[in-house]
Amino acid sequence: MREQAMVLNTNPLQRIPGVAVMLVLLCVVFSLMTPGFLTVPNISNVLVQSTILLMLALPMTLIIMTEGLDLSMGAVLTLTSLIVAIVALATGSLLLGLLAAMAVGILFGTVNGWLVAVVGIPPFVATLGTLGMAQGLSLIVSDGQSVVGMPAAVRGVYSGTLGGVPLPIVLGLGSYLAFHGLLYHTRFGTYIFALGGNREALKFAGISARRLLILVYALGGAMVGLAGLLMTARMNSGHPTAGLGLEFDAIAAVAVGGTSFERGNGWLLGTLLGVVTVGVLRNGLNLLALPSSIQVASVGLLVIAALFVDGLRSRS
Amino acid sequence: MTDISKPITGGRMLFSDEMIQVFYRLLAAFLICAALTILTNSFFSLGNILNVLRQASLLFFIASGLTLVVLTGGLDLSIGANVAISACIAGTVIHQTGSPTLGVLTGIGVGGAVGMLNGVMVTALRIPSFIATYGMLWVLHGITYWYMGGETMHGFPAGFRQIGSGYFLGLPIPVYLLLVFLAIGTIFAQRTTWGQEIYAIGANPVAARLSGIPVARRLLLVYTVSGAMAGLASIIFLARLNSAEADIGESLTLPAIAAVLIGGTSLFGGLGTVFGTFVGALILTLVLNGMNLLSVNASWQPLVTGVIVILAVWLDMKTRRRAA
Amino acid sequence: MKKAYGALAALLLTTSLSSHAFADGETIAVFTKNQTNPYFQTVRVGSDAAAKAMKAKTLHYIPTKPDSIPEQLSQIEDVVVKKPSAIVFIPVDYKAMVPGVEKINDAKIPVVNVTDRSAGGKCVAFVGADDYSLGLETGRYLLKTLGGKGNFVIIEGVKGSLTSIDRVRGFNDALKENPGAKLLASQPGNYQRLQALQVMENLMQSNTQIDGVLAANDAMAIGAIEALDGANRKAQVIGVNGTKEAIDAIKSGKLLASGDYNGFMQGCLGMMIAIRSLRNEPVITEIVLKPTVIGKENYQPYDVPLESRTCPSWDEAAKLGTK
Repeated sequence: MREQAMVLNTNPLQRIPGVAVMLVLLCVVFSLMTPGFLTVPNISNVLVQSTILLMLALPMTLIIMTEGLDLSMGAVLTLTSLIVAIVALATGSLLLGLLAAMAVGILFGTVNGWLVAVVGIPPFVATLGTLGMAQGLSLIVSDGQSVVGMPAAVRGVYSGTLGGVPLPIVLGLGSYLAFHGLLYHTRFGTYIFALGGNREALKFAGISARRLLILVYALGGAMVGLAGLLMTARMNSGHPTAGLGLEFDAIAAVAVGGTSFERGNGWLLGTLLGVVTVGVLRNGLNLLALPSSIQVASVGLLVIAALFVDGLRSRS
Repeated sequence: MTDISKPITGGRMLFSDEMIQVFYRLLAAFLICAALTILTNSFFSLGNILNVLRQASLLFFIASGLTLVVLTGGLDLSIGANVAISACIAGTVIHQTGSPTLGVLTGIGVGGAVGMLNGVMVTALRIPSFIATYGMLWVLHGITYWYMGGETMHGFPAGFRQIGSGYFLGLPIPVYLLLVFLAIGTIFAQRTTWGQEIYAIGANPVAARLSGIPVARRLLLVYTVSGAMAGLASIIFLARLNSAEADIGESLTLPAIAAVLIGGTSLFGGLGTVFGTFVGALILTLVLNGMNLLSVNASWQPLVTGVIVILAVWLDMKTRRRAA
Repeated sequence: MKKAYGALAALLLTTSLSSHAFADGETIAVFTKNQTNPYFQTVRVGSDAAAKAMKAKTLHYIPTKPDSIPEQLSQIEDVVVKKPSAIVFIPVDYKAMVPGVEKINDAKIPVVNVTDRSAGGKCVAFVGADDYSLGLETGRYLLKTLGGKGNFVIIEGVKGSLTSIDRVRGFNDALKENPGAKLLASQPGNYQRLQALQVMENLMQSNTQIDGVLAANDAMAIGAIEALDGANRKAQVIGVNGTKEAIDAIKSGKLLASGDYNGFMQGCLGMMIAIRSLRNEPVITEIVLKPTVIGKENYQPYDVPLESRTCPSWDEAAKLGTK
């Protein structure tokens, strides 16, 4: 069973139907029911809207693979988004804003990792605690007010294009490829798999599991910093409560995508599909202008259905 | 997590260990009270103490059922939304029938039904409790929003409202209910077979099943109870606030979880007590009360809460003697 | 008068962004903040009533997470693809939604801004109430009742929200006008009943004498009343919004007064302006409802259930918007 953990990255083939089927199904249904769905502008919208969630879900996948969770991502996102706004406003520099945000994100990630790996606090609790800290800092730093007046370059990050493709999609795709390469094609990636399924192997290889774990959470923090830039660009402001609760969406997307909370079997493509599926669902429901209460319930039903199907498959 | 060599340590065998944990927490609560009494002269007054007890009891009702779920190694994220839907439906029943009794039964019934659905998802459909209850949260919100149609209910019979705001022999009525459920919860967990089985399931689910415990049935039970407690809490909120709103539960879920954690119940299952959750709820309420009395900027509240949760769990780990 | 309207119509014709025909059956998208605050329900009902009377359709867009900025931004992006004829828009946050309004502008869809005045973007019109004067007048009403002196507490709304900032400013100015009035504390209640109740409970502990409570909305005012009742203490409480619950409380004497933040009317007017601008009929670009305080003397016309209310005619509407 331990050996299986190392070979699990070939397992995903067994999982393709789950979330991909759901995604295809939703796309088919929506394109039949509303003409605006299957158009380039709309699909482009869905992908752009999904970018921030993707940037949280990618590192979340890694963290869940290590049997952990990061509940603080939403609150830290709020904080980093504010930092981008405040620093960019004060210095006039987009780059400084981004660097400051990533620094704050990495700091929180490191604290999370330290609490989990060194102090030994369960990830749920540790990140619940840092959630509170980040949320509090967001309110204090902003005094409850939106921060506006940044250089125009910041907005350009969300609305700009690169070779005709919206910049957020480029960033999202780039993040995905980076994580994919990291997880499946580097030694670091194998170590992460080991963190989830086979920690003893790390010891024999002379790698400190603790340091590795801290690194994983810190990586998540860096991504949250980048996502903060996108969020501020999107709102053209920093807002003290804007990103709260997003970590649950990220966890749900990862779960919908097939990564289970059991050890070791992370599937990045599944996470990507999960994020897009959630985005497609919301987009389709908006286009259909269904009553908001149905939209709310549908999100829950999607998550439950995805895992139900998943549970059936893994037992067949 | 499926290591069969881990012994089953039920709540009863660790009774003395658990008592020590609870003692430390009571000590912490006492120290907080002492600090607040020194820092502000509005703390140590009868009115304020009663307020704190009442606020803590509201939090406790929600967190108590949750404790049982966490003891089995699971989680119920839907309790806040459960409180909302139970309150709204119970409120309707009271308005339509004029009978508070029917309302109370409805509230508990709806809450329990929701809990049972959670239990079914976890046991029969094998969906991880985190995801199942998270999905349920959204579904409940959807139903509640639709049901309330953007409006609120208000104006309930004065007799009914006594449940939330009334006093009996000088103590707020919710405090009496708190004592009753504290007693019931503790006796159930520590002194009944079912309670012991719940601890066993949390400590080592495989061994529990192998030793003949009907795991699925017990899990179904704890989720139903968690839901029913949320339903009960909804009645008390209904009575206290004299209104039912769709978003009544939004702000309750995380504090309830925090109360359970501060109270010493481990997320891995098998360790913790209902009384501990009460002390956890008390500590959380004391801290928030203190911040209000000291006019601390409300922005600091989430930060302080976060720090306390981490501290509590850390102290817990340091002081526990875990069976090897 | 007619000349002014004529000029206005001409101005609007030249700036009209919609290329729609003047026919009936337009589809108007209505954006509100959440599904839980009854105020927004009154806006939705009002806009539906106006649309029905003018033979247009409405589609409602509400974030699934209450007050979610990213969601409302996404909804705008999605809706722009569908190209509704016009949009009646309450921004979740008046600053953070500016890019959203600009997106609607870029799509050349006319947008009428309601309730929270957006900090940017081009809107055909703004319909709202003046939170500051509402807070001021309601505060003055309270002070007059108490003879201009006493101990007061303020319960604020959501920190950072425009309505809360302005209303509380109004409260403060009303208090400052009276040298005998003392402000004991000003704490946020987040526009939530439960929070206001607990804040009030705590405030009562540290202050033995409270004569008046100024709450930035009705839900919080009622929460404060519940707290007072529970402690057997008395104080005069005012709120803002004019919800049904507040009217009932005024009737029974529990609530002193509530500032009328007529969501139904704002919904009506916003929708009427949106449709009229599509049909190239004259509109008013700015309607700020006069502050009205609802008290025991004048609550009757407000005591009408939502379903039975009708929107004003355009001529009546034209008389409403004077600052």
